[in-house]
Amino acid sequence: MSTEPENIESLVNQRYKHGFITDIETDALPPGLDEDVVRAISARKNEPDWMLEWRLRAYRQWLAMREPEWAHVHYPPIDYQEISYFAAPKSDADRPKSLDEVDPKLLETYDKLGIPLHERARLAGVAVDAVFDSVSVTTTFKDKLSEAGVIFCSFSEAVENHPELVEKYLGSVVPQRDNFFAALNSAVFSDGSFVYVPKGVRCPMELSTYFRINAANTGQFERTLIVADEGSYVSYLEGCTAPMRDENQLHAAVVELVALKDAEIKYSTVQNWYPGDENGKGGIYNFVTKRGDCRGANSKISWTQVETGSAITWKYPSCILRGDNSTGEFYSVAVANNFQQADTGTKMIHIGRNTSSTIVSKGISAGKAQNAYRGLVKVMPQAHDARNYTQCDSLLIGKECGAHTFPYMEIKNPGAHVEHEATTSKISANQLFYCRQRGISEEDAVNMIVNGFCKEVFNELPMEFAVEAQALLNVSLEGAVG
Amino acid sequence: MRPDGLAALPKQALETAVSARSPLTPDLPRQAALARFLKRGFPSTRAEDWKYTDLSAAIDVTRDWLAAGAVSGIPDSLADDAAALTGNIDASWVVVGNGQIVGDLPAESGKDGIVVERLSRAAVEPSIEQPLADLNAALLTDGLHVRVPKGARPSRPLGILYLDQTDEDPLVSLQRAVIDVEAGAQIAVIEYHASKGRGGHYSNTQVELSVGDGGSIDYVRLQNRDRAHSQTQRLGVTLARDSAFRHFALDLGGALTRNDLTIDIAGPGAEARFDGLYIAGDGQHIDNHTRVDHRVGPARSAQEYRGILRGQCRAVWNGKAIVHEGADGTDAVQGNHNLLLSEGAEIDAKPELEIYADDVKCAHGTTVGQLDESALFYLRSRGIGPSDAQRILTHAFAASIVRELPIGRLSDAVNTLIDRRLGDSLAMESA
Repeated sequence: MSTEPENIESLVNQRYKHGFITDIETDALPPGLDEDVVRAISARKNEPDWMLEWRLRAYRQWLAMREPEWAHVHYPPIDYQEISYFAAPKSDADRPKSLDEVDPKLLETYDKLGIPLHERARLAGVAVDAVFDSVSVTTTFKDKLSEAGVIFCSFSEAVENHPELVEKYLGSVVPQRDNFFAALNSAVFSDGSFVYVPKGVRCPMELSTYFRINAANTGQFERTLIVADEGSYVSYLEGCTAPMRDENQLHAAVVELVALKDAEIKYSTVQNWYPGDENGKGGIYNFVTKRGDCRGANSKISWTQVETGSAITWKYPSCILRGDNSTGEFYSVAVANNFQQADTGTKMIHIGRNTSSTIVSKGISAGKAQNAYRGLVKVMPQAHDARNYTQCDSLLIGKECGAHTFPYMEIKNPGAHVEHEATTSKISANQLFYCRQRGISEEDAVNMIVNGFCKEVFNELPMEFAVEAQALLNVSLEGAVG
Repeated sequence: MRPDGLAALPKQALETAVSARSPLTPDLPRQAALARFLKRGFPSTRAEDWKYTDLSAAIDVTRDWLAAGAVSGIPDSLADDAAALTGNIDASWVVVGNGQIVGDLPAESGKDGIVVERLSRAAVEPSIEQPLADLNAALLTDGLHVRVPKGARPSRPLGILYLDQTDEDPLVSLQRAVIDVEAGAQIAVIEYHASKGRGGHYSNTQVELSVGDGGSIDYVRLQNRDRAHSQTQRLGVTLARDSAFRHFALDLGGALTRNDLTIDIAGPGAEARFDGLYIAGDGQHIDNHTRVDHRVGPARSAQEYRGILRGQCRAVWNGKAIVHEGADGTDAVQGNHNLLLSEGAEIDAKPELEIYADDVKCAHGTTVGQLDESALFYLRSRGIGPSDAQRILTHAFAASIVRELPIGRLSDAVNTLIDRRLGDSLAMESA
């Protein structure tokens, strides 16, 4: 809080000199975690005192917390002292110089996904200066956004430039001690995104393409904060259909959304981190806390996710429906193949009057994967006339996979209407036979059926993304049939 | 909320009470059960399965009862009360009063082809290991062993009345039954729980049921305890090839009621159908946990529980179906529907599926809501008063599940109990 304005300004200038990709070769910290590491991270990011204090409080709380064991996932214990909490991204010198040096298998995948040519180099981690024209694209977007008054920047920049907003909203949806991984993230988060949409503004574009180009290296402890002020609207797209490779095995991100009166936030995720190989070796542990707070009346938060990557996914994007007439939505497709394990779902907490929530979850298990839906619908005593509809379907492909549902319903108001439906089935021999008979190959037939199964969720994605997501699903299930 | 029930119990009194018990079968390992219980204590709300149910009330009674010497006499009036409860239900009745077998066992003579013995004389070893089952095994006075021999088809149901009475003193009743339905045998069993008296009361019942190849059992559990008393009950069922288990559970009374129904489908072709109705009013907490393990296929399980909640009360329903690897051809359906009729009522529902096989058909549906407004309006528009309209629709909601009652001759008795309970609850509303 005590940071001088001049100081902030100088910091701002300092960072902008380097653009978005900072050369932080020297920033790598040795493995291990203690208060000094937290201080070092904060210092390297030139954070004000309050931010450091906030991190330290989180760290001290984390020390007293235990790693959760309730999820339906199994993995060897994580040694938190073995991890480097400020690892530098690959320097340009280590990167491939052009697409010719990139693993042809990866390029083949891009092709299948229909990723635009000029994005491929960036996604494959080709050195920045080799990437076609990305800077100018970025600048165009930035101009357009600032015209509308939308603040969209990295989290570090937000701490420097908009400390009052960050301090007001940071941790107000996901408190530091919310859970083990959120506390860890709060202590050591590397960077992330910050969005503020002012009163009455409809964000002029999907904050998607921009992000896709911007976020080649999001770091393993990502922190996102989106605030939609009264009457505003924003659609935010996180992630990318292209396979993301990362050396960091543990990812613990936190996403906080705040929707004030009459505001709407649409948050779409496509998660395709490295899932490990066919034998279950390697892969990302993705422990994410995502929560949206419909703080004002008539606000709306909508989560859409397509989860195909990661060895382990532990993720429950949730909505706190505090404002009267607020709405929460959760649309999810989770695919687990080979040895992947997914435990994902949502929480809808109804607090205000006339709140409503919709949950549509589609889980697909193949290979030896385990896929679980875990959800909570809670209607508080004061939440009159709450409405929830939940549909949660699982599709099994193969004999060795598992599909599970763990829905919790806690209803404390007699005016609530809560409906929950779930089904589990496999692709029927009849469906397959019908398609085969009409000359469709088995793989195409399975893809078609699976895409049909997920249609309700894909419909919620921004259009171009929906097309990519369908292609992604097909790629993810490769080798699952036949 | 007390996280650890063990700390609240006087260990020494517990040990003394256990040593004072006479040996049951040579096999019933009282001391081992006590040792296990002392290690784990009562389940706490930190355990996932007990998240919504706090056993404090039962723990308090147990502590007071142990402190008072852990004695359970049988009041003189008990026989008359038992006769009144069972009089209009045509069955061979065994009465267990305050945890002790009262009078003669009807089938010791081999009547109707079934054998009912005291557990202390039977050569069976109760097998469930759970904290509450351990407490039961440690302190049990005697239990029942029911054997339905191969191919036997007794014409009358077997009724077991668990009746507890305590005028002033705290009372803990420990009850246990082991029921073996042998291959091809068929039987109907009624398990009836009732209690009265002003003293604190906790009843702990453990039932183990196994059904042999091609055997079948219709099992109805009725619970209408005093609304200040507590009960925990566990029914564990093992089903062999082509066997059938049809179950209906009715919970009307009790301050704290927790029922665990676990079904193990161990043979292909087995079929389990289990339904339940719970009606909760002021001060009541009714928790039904069901779990079915499909270990082999093909097999079917279907359940539907319905709840009516009015007043300051809470009901919990947790249905779990686990389809194990290789249990292809499994068909599992779960349904749970609740009417929340007033402020202060809470339902916690959790239908769980864990599936490790792909050739399966599994589904669940859960709803929480109120009486249909247009149906209410329809009745009102035909000149039916608001409370009558409500009663008719509430009855209809209950009736759609009572219709599935597996023992047809019980339907009058069951409907009378439900009518009386709903009548009370509506009277409370208008008062």
